[in-house]
This record gives sequence, structure tokens and C-alpha cells, in this order.
Amino acid sequence: MATTALSPQSKSYSRSWVVEWLTTVDHKKIGILYILNSFFFFFAAGILALLVRSELAVPGLQFLDEGTYNQAFTMHGTVMVFLFIVPVLSGFANYIVPLQIGAPDMAFPRINALSFWFLPLGGILLFAGYLFGGAAAEGWTLYTPLSGPTYASGVGTDLWLIGLLLVGTASILGSVNFIATIFKMRAPGMTLFRMPILVWTVLVTATLIMLATPVLAAGMIALFIDRNYGGAFFDPNTGGNPVLWQHLFWFFGHPEVYIVILPAMGVVSEILPVFTRRPLFGYRAFVFATIAIGLLSFSVWAHHMFTTGQVFLPFFSFMTALIAVPTGVKMFNWMATMWRGSITFATPMLFALGFLSMFLIGGISGVMLSAPPLDFHLQDTYFVVAHLHYVFFGGSVFGVFAATYYWFPKMTGRRLNERLGKVHFWMHFIGFNLAFFPMHELGIQGMPRRIADYSPDAGWTLWNLASTGGAFLIAASILPFLVNVVATFINGEKVGDDPWEGNTLEWATSSPPPPYNFDKLPPIRSERPVFDLRHKHDAEHGAGERGLVEGDHR
Amino acid sequence: MNDIAFGYLLLAIGIVFALGVIYALTSHLGSAERAKPKVPRGVHLPNPSPLPVIMAVGGALLGAGLAFRGDDQPVANPWLAVPGLIVFLYGIFAWVRAAGREWDETERGPHDDDTGH
Amino acid sequence: MSAESPTMHGADEHLPISHREAGMPTPLVGMLLFIASEVMFFGGLFAAYFNARAIHAAEWGPPPGAPELEMLPIALPITIVLVASSFTMQFGVWAIRRGDQRAMRNWTMLTLALGVAFLIGQIYDYTTLGFGIGDGAFGTVFYTLTGFHGAHVFGGAVGLTILSARAAQGQFSRRNHVAVEAISMYWHFVDVVWIALFSTLYFLR
Repeated sequence: MATTALSPQSKSYSRSWVVEWLTTVDHKKIGILYILNSFFFFFAAGILALLVRSELAVPGLQFLDEGTYNQAFTMHGTVMVFLFIVPVLSGFANYIVPLQIGAPDMAFPRINALSFWFLPLGGILLFAGYLFGGAAAEGWTLYTPLSGPTYASGVGTDLWLIGLLLVGTASILGSVNFIATIFKMRAPGMTLFRMPILVWTVLVTATLIMLATPVLAAGMIALFIDRNYGGAFFDPNTGGNPVLWQHLFWFFGHPEVYIVILPAMGVVSEILPVFTRRPLFGYRAFVFATIAIGLLSFSVWAHHMFTTGQVFLPFFSFMTALIAVPTGVKMFNWMATMWRGSITFATPMLFALGFLSMFLIGGISGVMLSAPPLDFHLQDTYFVVAHLHYVFFGGSVFGVFAATYYWFPKMTGRRLNERLGKVHFWMHFIGFNLAFFPMHELGIQGMPRRIADYSPDAGWTLWNLASTGGAFLIAASILPFLVNVVATFINGEKVGDDPWEGNTLEWATSSPPPPYNFDKLPPIRSERPVFDLRHKHDAEHGAGERGLVEGDHR
Repeated sequence: MNDIAFGYLLLAIGIVFALGVIYALTSHLGSAERAKPKVPRGVHLPNPSPLPVIMAVGGALLGAGLAFRGDDQPVANPWLAVPGLIVFLYGIFAWVRAAGREWDETERGPHDDDTGH
Repeated sequence: MSAESPTMHGADEHLPISHREAGMPTPLVGMLLFIASEVMFFGGLFAAYFNARAIHAAEWGPPPGAPELEMLPIALPITIVLVASSFTMQFGVWAIRRGDQRAMRNWTMLTLALGVAFLIGQIYDYTTLGFGIGDGAFGTVFYTLTGFHGAHVFGGAVGLTILSARAAQGQFSRRNHVAVEAISMYWHFVDVVWIALFSTLYFLR
């Protein structure tokens, strides 16, 4: 019987933690599984990055041949995007969203578990290529005809396609789960416009995943058919069109980058109000900006294809520049949230501030690329590599670390050490900028991406060396983080329900929460129910910052 | 660097990581669950289930069968695809049966949480 | 009421309104969203079709040596069969909404039979076509589109089989039959995709 399943006497409750974690359908455990699995792939892809940077530090092929180098950057990109950044944000969302809307679990808990288990298995298939003649090596974008049967005849690319089909299916099922959960399982009083911004960003992200990933699936299946069953989708020799792949890939690929950034923006929107002791400025503007970004993200994909000569440049250039507007609105709102706030520079806040500054740079370089005259020179150069790392890494990964430090106490009942956290942040921040800022200049000087070697006469050596130094500094910064995590597990500072004085519902239950999440929910009258509870007296008498009055929010 | 060596290196790192995770999980995350109170009335949570991991394995085997197709096999490698298909179909069958059983319990079965319905 | 979604209450028709689940049942929301994702999947495949067709506009069709695509004697009849199966499916839904489980089971089994007939017809059609998936752009997109549609029909047939089996065990009632509604939505979707596909292949050409 369902209700007794979780009491210690139930026969379906297992003493063995292996069975417990293999059969869990609890969104909190599944969230943790996602996060742990993702960090494993983060480290794997990070090692691949170090391989790439080590080879590129100075001219000459030092220790990799071109084929292995190509596999390294291909797998680095693929694993980072599909097996790290999206799943880790999905993991945080899995853990936090049901708590923030006052629900006992996700709408479809077993499908939630199914979505998770496809990830390690898909990852194994992806990496299996290394054991069978080489992994995929055509860049994470896998352009045809290079990825077709003629030029990529090994099984590695097929494993890439199959592995990502599994991961993509999991993603789609997960997105259905999130949307259904958010619409159907909010606690009484939690209207849509009282949901935390993280929940809104997850909602829009899930919609993007649901609508964009199937198109990638169609493209990947088409490529698999070309490679294995004599299909003629992409091979011009048999009647196919190689640019079709680019359309199918990027129609997914562009919404994908918003899938990567929106949840991180949500995380930052949760953290800033708590560590500046201010309400989020312009809640509704955030909601509408998020929705606008989601909608617009489907209209810009061909800006990745400007140089094919087959794209209507004015439209895509205009739409790409336009999408910077709602993003800018968010930037200004975050600034306004902090203005005259009482800021605590705890580690989550540091990473949130890192996000704001680094994502700003990445966004600006993106707008530069939206102009075809610039893009024609910078396409496929290191300028693009700089841009994508500033938004992916400077944006989303900073957001992931912010989320980790912020919600670690909720998930484990222990707070990570602040000193080690600050060491981690500064090493990470400095290493990141050292690694990627020089790439802007390298790109402008014409250094192409995806090359294993370059001429000593090009004048690129110094910047490459600096960049490699930065990469190793980033790698080193993981050490204080790992030490912190392990030490905190062993003997960290124990905390109660609400160590940060948060605003949202996850702080209204124990750390970690019981399986059913809440013994009792506080009344929900605004987007800050726990804040309201803490300031019950003020709320009842209509005081509060910037006129936030009970009943003010519909 | 040799591809196979890299594969084994990753495997070794994976094993070390998995051991680290196992250590972390056994030290703290598990213990909070064991001393849990009874679920409050009116809340129904689904039972733990091995079917998600079973179906994921089935799907992965099927996929591997498609990827590791030999030249003399028209669609997929039967050594992988057939077990994969069996596991996957079993998973669907078991899932539906479990859903039906849960339907029986909520619709007709006894409720021991004295919610009155 | 879903068997799988965690709920704050059980089957709740006898409860006061404030305690009931409001709006569309959660499993139905899930199926609708899943169908949306499937629409995008077929959208990608249709995009490939239209792209290939635009490039090869002058000679678009089966490769030389193979006959032109003809609606008769197979394609149009199986279309009628599939459209009819949507009607029978809906009759089954209406039956269970009235509480008539036996009628619902019969309509469901009829729908299943019609779906299987569609699949058999489709496979037979494949044997008469004279070209394969590896025979140029048209062959590739034709078999990919119709093949994946057929796979979805097969998936629906599995769902219908499960519905019939559960109905035989008396598991549906007037107030508790969300699985029937969900599978019927999926079946209608599969039918709509076929209508679009049939029109594209046999009318638009």
C-alpha cells in the first residue's frame, strides 16, 4: 500500500542502500543522482579539455595525433552539453521545484527515475566508442558530410547518435514531467504568479526541451539511416543535402543554449534576493522576459549558419539582436535587486555575482556575432569559442556552483565551508578568465577552432599558453571544492531548516526534507511565503520593503 | 594517446568516483531516511520500483544492438537487440501491471491512513 | 485519477469540491505534452521531406524504374481503415464515459483490429513499391516518414492491447478511465499524422 511504503515496517522498504538508490522514485534522491552523475561527466569532459589545452599550449603536435585530438574536443563538447550542464540543472530542478511549489513529489515519479537512468547508460554508450576504434570526432555539432558513412566509418559516431537518442528521450520525458508537475501540483495559494522565478525558468526550459529535442532526434535518426541503411538525407552524391543537417541540428541547438542558461538565471534570481535582503525587482518583468526568450529562441537558429550562403541574413540577424532585449531586462532587474541592498558575500552570492559579470561579457560577444559582417570573419574562429565558454561556463556553470553552495545545506543538513568556498571561487574565476578571455583576441587574429596545431609564426603562442594556464587553474580549483564536499560530509557544520533566511518554500521544511516533503505548509500569499512567515507581524500590518503588502499579488 | 588506453583511464576514474560516491552516500545521506515518521494522512506516494532502471537497461541494449550491427545483419545486432527488446517489453508489461494494481488499491482497496475515503 | 501520480487524495468524486483534483487529469496533461513533442518529431521529418522535395523539384518521386505512387489499391483503403479506427476509438471513449465497460472493450478491440489491418496493408504496400530506403532522396524520406508513422501505430496498438486486457479485468469505470482517454488522444494524433502524410505523399506529391 502506497502510504505505508515509506515507513520502516513496510516490506517494500529495503535495508540495502544499493537497492534503495536503484529503485527510488523520490524526486529528491533522483535529483541527487542527477547531480552526482553530472559531476562525474563534468570531470571526464574536463580532463578532455585539459588534453586539448595541453596540446594547444605551444605549436607542434606534442602528444596527440589529429584523430585523437578531434575525438577529444568532440567528446568534450558533447559530454559537457548533454551529460553535464543540462542534467545537473535538471537535477537541481528535480530536487527543488516540487519543494518550491509545495508538492509531495513530481507528477510522474517513476518516469522521473526512468529519465535519470538513461543518462549513465547513454553516457556509457557515448564513451564506448573509445574502446571500439575511436569515439565520434566530427565536433559536437557533427556536421555532415564529415559525419556521414564515407568519412566517419567507425562505430563511434553511431554510438554518439544512439547514446544521445537515449539521453534526448530521457530529456523529453523529464520535460513533460516538469510541465505537468508545475501546472497540476502546486500547493493551494501558489498561483502561477506567486511561483519562484526558478520554477518559471524551469517551466519555460522544459517547454523548450519538449519542442526542440525531438527535432534533433529526427536529425540524428536521419543521420543514422544515412550511415547504416544507405539513406540519402545528407550525402550530396546520392541526392542529399548536407546543410539540412545544420538546419535540423541548430533548430534544436539554439533553443538548447537557452535550455542551458535559463535555469541558471533562475538560480541567480533565487540567490540574489536572499543575499541582498531585497525582494526581486520586477517579478513580472522576469516572467515575461523568460517567456519572450523562450519564444524568440526558436527564431534565431540560422545565425549559426550565416556563412553557408543559404540563409536570409537580415531576419536572423534582427531576431538574434532582439533576443538580447529580454536578457538585458533581466540584467537590469538583477542590478536593481542589489541596489541599496545589504549584501552578504557568502559563496553562493559570489558565484551569482560571477554569473552576472561573466554572462554579461558572453552576451555582448554574442550580440557582436549577430552581425553578419562580423560573423563572416569570426565564424569558426576562437572568438566563437570564447563566446560560448563565457555563456556556458561563465554563465551556467557559475550558476551550477552557486546552486550547489546554496542548496547543499538543504540536501544534506550540513553547510559547506565558507573559506574553502571562497578559495574555490577565486581560483575558478581567475582561471576562467585567464583561460577564455585571450580567445577573443585569438579569434580576431584569425585562429580557427578545432585545429590540433598552429604555426609558430602566427603570433598565437603567448595567448594559447596563457589560456592553457587558465585551464589548469580551473582544474586546480576543483580541489578545494572536492575537499570541501568530502570534509563537510564527514564533519561539516550542521544546519536547520533555513540557514540562509530564504524566501521560498524549500526552507519551510527540514534539511533534508522528509520523503513526503512537508509536515505543514505555511500560508502562501506572495512569491516569498517563508519570508512572509518570518515577518508575519510586518506582513499583517502592511509594512515591508517597497510596499510589498499581503494580498498584493494575484 | 591511445584510444583504448583513454577508455580504460576513464573507466578507472569512473570506478574511483563511484567509490567516492558510495562512501559519501553511506556516511550521511542514507541515515536521515531510516528514522522517518509515518507519511501524513491524505498523502499517497508511489512505491520504489526497479522498473525504471530495468527499462533503461533494456533501451540501452536495444540501442547498442543498432549501433553494433555487423555487415551481415540487416537491421541490428541480435545478440544485443533481442535481449534488449525482451527486457524492454517485460518492463512495459510489468509497469502497466503495477499501475493496474495501484489503480485497484486506490479505487477499491483498503486505506490504512484513516482519511475516511 | 492517476495510479502513478502522487496525490493528496484518492479517487475523489465523493469529496467536497475543494478537495477534488481540478481541471484536466494529470495523466492526460502528460499525454498531451508527449503528443506535442511527437508533433515536433514528425515536424523534423517533414522538414527533411520538404527540403529534399524542393531541391529535387523537377524529378521528385520514386526512382527511375519504379512506378509512380498510386492511391489505389492500397494507400487509400488503409487510410479509410485508419480514419475509421479513430471513430471506433472515440465510440469506445464515449462508451466508458457512460460507464459501459463492455462496449468500450469491444470498440477498443475493433480499433485494434483496424490498426493492425492498417499495419499489414502498409507492409504489403512496401513490397509493391519497387524501391527501398537506400534508393535516393525520395526513397529515404518516404520510408523514414511512413516507417516512423507505422512504428507509432504499432506503439498505439500495444496501448490498445493493454486497454483491452485491463477492460477485460474490469479495471475501468465511469469515473476512473483516464488511461482510455489518454490512449485515445494518442490514437487520434497518429491518425492526424497519417492524414498529413497521405496528403503530402499522394495529393501534394
